Amino acid sequence: MAKNEKPIEAVDFEKALAELEGIVKQLEAGNLALEKSLALFERGVQLARACKEKLAEAELKVSQLVKDKQGLFSEEPFKEDKE
Amino acid sequence: MEAAAKSKVLTVSQVNALVAGMLGEYFSDVWIEGEVSNFKAYPSGHLYFALKDEGSQLQAVCFRHSAQRLKFALDDGLQVVGHGRLEVYQPTGKYQVILDVIEPKGLGALQKAFEQLKRKLEGEGLFAAERKRPLPLLPRTVGIVTSPSGAAIHDMLRTLRLHKAKVDVVLFPAQVQGEGAAGQIAEGVATLCARSDIDVIIVGRGGGSIEDLWPFNEEIVARAISCARVPVISGVGHETDFTIADFVADVRAATPTAAAQLVARAWEELEDRLKDLAAQLLEATEQVLFEKQQAIDELARHRAFELMAAQLSALGHKVERMAGAVEGSVRTRLSDAVAVLTALDRRLNRQNPVARVLRQRVALQGLATRLEKPVVALLSRQSIRLGQAGAGLDALSPLASLGRGYSICLKPDGSVVSRTGQVRAGDDVRLRVSDGSFDCRVERTGNADTGGQ
Repeated sequence: MAKNEKPIEAVDFEKALAELEGIVKQLEAGNLALEKSLALFERGVQLARACKEKLAEAELKVSQLVKDKQGLFSEEPFKEDKE
Repeated sequence: MEAAAKSKVLTVSQVNALVAGMLGEYFSDVWIEGEVSNFKAYPSGHLYFALKDEGSQLQAVCFRHSAQRLKFALDDGLQVVGHGRLEVYQPTGKYQVILDVIEPKGLGALQKAFEQLKRKLEGEGLFAAERKRPLPLLPRTVGIVTSPSGAAIHDMLRTLRLHKAKVDVVLFPAQVQGEGAAGQIAEGVATLCARSDIDVIIVGRGGGSIEDLWPFNEEIVARAISCARVPVISGVGHETDFTIADFVADVRAATPTAAAQLVARAWEELEDRLKDLAAQLLEATEQVLFEKQQAIDELARHRAFELMAAQLSALGHKVERMAGAVEGSVRTRLSDAVAVLTALDRRLNRQNPVARVLRQRVALQGLATRLEKPVVALLSRQSIRLGQAGAGLDALSPLASLGRGYSICLKPDGSVVSRTGQVRAGDDVRLRVSDGSFDCRVERTGNADTGGQ
């Protein structure tokens, strides 16, 4: 892995997608050595998998702001009323 | 004065007090219609103006606590209907109407207020298209200002879950109708904006009457939205409801659900984009591999040819070396074979049809020449002989000889008998003489000297 490539966990979602997009463009343009192509493919697969996992694991987190006696807001989990 | 003595004399104060009492009693609950004139709002919050019509005018006042409840702004020229009571200001004896409710004539107060605020904010450019900010591509934290117990929050959270939006929601619980609601909504927008993690804010509530939705038509809410640090989506009431908040917001969603969908859409699009990219990645790589495979195949083919050629030439050298090593007899045999081959080649060359035709033509010409010579010679000899014959024709005429006593012996077939050998004893012959002929039979034959035998 080249030094400008961050580990996937640290990669921002949008940046990961942008990198993946760049990889696809490079591959589609062709004229790459086989080794380079395969390295790009590997990186692309890692990025796609990481993004997919992130999408799968993320849950909707809902909190609400509550004002205390000093008029300051604090965050606490929001419990929805049963519908 | 007699009259004065008869009646009870009142002081000025007494009169004014009496009038005040009477007016207060008779006009304690009155509706008055008129045009606002000479309007003046004091810093205290009290509003002073006159109500007038074509022929008359009446001083009016609206004290602060009533003025605060006004849904629209009073101004000169406005036709209004006011409710209140008449009051006499006793120090001057002037009376005025104290209004506690003022409504615009014709339109409902709220509608009037709506139009007034709309015109005002529009004039400030708060609705301008260039003020509208695009929604963040991928909102992560969404601030929502709405009631924690209303239908709107449920609709929004359900929609976000349905579309798998991976967002954190920070709810600012606010009253969304009634007194104080507008202040809470405005505070909610400002409070959420103060946080650094909020990407987009939704303000909204479910459907209701125009009064229910009213807080979203208040200036304080409009100001809070227009000052927001992040884009604001309004989702108030139903599709047909338009509020001031809708006009000021960066994006107007028809309903709270639609507002949540706008946020979720980015995540849905993201998921689609990821799927597309993964497919494209695979496709592009397969294409690369396919092309490389083709290139390799081509190279492989090429090398194979080279190898084969090299192997062949190596084999050739080997054969030569082996040939060089073999015995002289073999070499002789080889050279013999070469000689045979050369001869064969020559023969073969002779069989060449063109050469054959050429050769035959030469032969024919030779033959022709050889044939020509004797024919020409023969012809010339005969022509000479003919000339001679013509010249001595008379002398040679047999008729002349016959006249001289010679005869010609002819066989029955007409041939001339000139030698004894031509006839045998018993043969019939005819003798021709100068004037005719006669038939004879040969008795015997013999030479000229020996006579007949």
